[in-house]
Amino acid sequence: MTAPVLTFFNNKGGVGKTSLIYHLAWMFARLGRGVVVLDLDPQANLTAAFLDEDHIEALWNAEGAGSTIYQCVSPLAGVADIAPPLLQPMAENLHLLPGDIRLSGFEEALSKEWPDSMGDSNLYRPMRILSAFWQVMQMAGDQVQAEILLADIGPNLGAINRSVLLATDYVAIPLGADLFSLQGLSNLGPTLRSWKNLWQKRLNNWEESPEKRHYPDFRLPSGKMQPIGYLCQQHGVLLERPVKAYDKWVQRIPAVYREAVLNEAPVQNLRQEDDPFCLATIRHYRSLVPMAQERRKPIFNLTSADGAIGSHAHAVSDARRDFRILAEKIAEKTGLAPAPKPWHP
Amino acid sequence: MKRFSDQELLDLLNSLESDRVERKESFKGEVPKKARQAVCAFANDLPNHNAPGILFIGAKDNGEPSGLEVTDQLLLSLADMKTDGNILPLPVLSVEKRLLKGSAMAVVTVMPSDMPPVKYEGRIWIRTGPRRSIANEQEERILNEKRRYKNLPFDLHPIPSAAVTDLSKLIFESEFLPSAFAADVLESNGRSYGERLSSCKMIVSPDTTTPTVLGLLTLGKSPQDFLPGACIQFLRIDGTDLADPVLDAETMGGAFVEMLRRAEEKLKSHNRIGVDATSGPTHRTDMPYPPAAMQQILYNAVLHRTYENTHAPVRVYWFNDRIEITSPGGPYGNVTSENFGRPGITDYRNPNIGDVLKTFGFIQAFGRGIAIARREMEKNGNPPPEFETSPSAVMCTLRRKA
Repeated sequence: MTAPVLTFFNNKGGVGKTSLIYHLAWMFARLGRGVVVLDLDPQANLTAAFLDEDHIEALWNAEGAGSTIYQCVSPLAGVADIAPPLLQPMAENLHLLPGDIRLSGFEEALSKEWPDSMGDSNLYRPMRILSAFWQVMQMAGDQVQAEILLADIGPNLGAINRSVLLATDYVAIPLGADLFSLQGLSNLGPTLRSWKNLWQKRLNNWEESPEKRHYPDFRLPSGKMQPIGYLCQQHGVLLERPVKAYDKWVQRIPAVYREAVLNEAPVQNLRQEDDPFCLATIRHYRSLVPMAQERRKPIFNLTSADGAIGSHAHAVSDARRDFRILAEKIAEKTGLAPAPKPWHP
Repeated sequence: MKRFSDQELLDLLNSLESDRVERKESFKGEVPKKARQAVCAFANDLPNHNAPGILFIGAKDNGEPSGLEVTDQLLLSLADMKTDGNILPLPVLSVEKRLLKGSAMAVVTVMPSDMPPVKYEGRIWIRTGPRRSIANEQEERILNEKRRYKNLPFDLHPIPSAAVTDLSKLIFESEFLPSAFAADVLESNGRSYGERLSSCKMIVSPDTTTPTVLGLLTLGKSPQDFLPGACIQFLRIDGTDLADPVLDAETMGGAFVEMLRRAEEKLKSHNRIGVDATSGPTHRTDMPYPPAAMQQILYNAVLHRTYENTHAPVRVYWFNDRIEITSPGGPYGNVTSENFGRPGITDYRNPNIGDVLKTFGFIQAFGRGIAIARREMEKNGNPPPEFETSPSAVMCTLRRKA
């Protein structure tokens, strides 16, 4: 039994992806579901949301141990094998595998092995390196009996992200309402399909290779990468003009999503708010955001003692409800077993 | 607190149908959660046994030993159920290792609470026959009724001169309730405003809507009209003794959230951060007092002080070399002048105020405030906090770092 890996991906940055994963992870934990968060973006912003700088510094300086994703996979570049991940417990049911600036150094190894894995001999090493992230993810999931693994990656179509997506079962696409997000969406879909095909070829190649029987325990990810939908980031709306501009872009999403990501005929006249593939519109929580960042808490865990009083208290309850609905929707789309009821019937 | 003899425990262990007993083979997986539900249900004592409930860890469902090794670690995690603040108001329970049927078992004895309803993570658990469930409206009403005839701590006493209109409905509904109860409990019930206030112990009962001390301090529009001493007095003195000139003075009133937040802001603004930009290649910042220590001592003073028969405020006097925080009312219950500040020794004059401060997020866990203050003072390079107790007050001195 392996837990599904859900990756949030868009090659346009600044669409609130990291904050979204951070909040979703806390909500899954709150709902009693075991979750592991993996920070595979070398910028490590997600890690910084969870841990303070002193703590991160100590992890990055811990040489050779599996305290970050880089430390887990880097032995592969030499002669050693993957180091088992040392997960950071964040709360009951919530664990983090921290990211690492040095992970960008692994990009080169991954690019190099990609053509080599289509060769006709010595396939084990390239396949091992290309599937390294998946191996680490599975180890992490097994360690804490996670129900779901959430991965954060940077906004590009490079070799690291390709490797993470090969390890991914489900993909969710966060979007902003602008030209760049929409453009990102239209080249993201074909890229995902192409990677899926290219990985399938490599899997077949490995299946047929004589080397395979020497490694009976070597398992590889299937590269499912199934898109489960998109999320829209709401704009801070102040004047009428931005509202119109927002609406213009946001209403083009359902058609572009079908055409580019699902490879279907674009629908006509389907509004974004009615689109079943729209998982959520993420609201702008304004002043709650800095309050939550200062306390290193998700917005919906802010208390009166943190200053969430009056209208803020309402916004905290709203955020809690919105993220609960989103977490339940994602649980359903990723095939998680229904959550146990909080009490006996 | 009753301690059962071996024979009494054996009888309970063997009585498979009793709703005062629960047996668990180990303390792993879902068990810590279920054990907490059981503690909450025993404390509520809906069937009115007026006798403790017992939780056996290391016993199978048929009452036979499961052969569990009872370690110190296990006993500690069992005792944690009392103080981690998930069961509120804090349950009265004891944890011990006993030898039964030739095997070691951990035995948790839970006393029925004088202040039901007791909740675990925002839900009121009760026993119905051999299993646990969530109290429905009618059962919650019965638990509320039970509370009225006990000898209650002062924080639940009614203040007859106050009326229910002196409480803020807005704060109750928008800030207190969503933090005190799980969302599904709030959504699913049709309890009236009065019933909800009563269930949270803010008023005496739905028929007698007189606010309690707790209600006024938590939701009062102006609690100091009825409890004049329930405030924090701050003085910044330019010198080292009381006769020196005063630089800043303010009395922080209002209900808990307003009072504590204003007091904290005041402390923050006086705790000026020094920046040294000349003595090294990079600048260094330096704080005279660690904020977490000041916070813990202040919360402790507000939680543990007496609100009865005194008009004295909590005093925060900030001198040039030290801060003195004085809390009216001497040590209480288990805590005496002799054992004051020793780890593990705690008692609660105001258990229901503890519940509210936890609900609002001021308290994370119980019984750790002084330990945190000690650790933070040391980390920041200050001398250890000093405590001075008398029958009428507890004073803590935080000394500035040299």
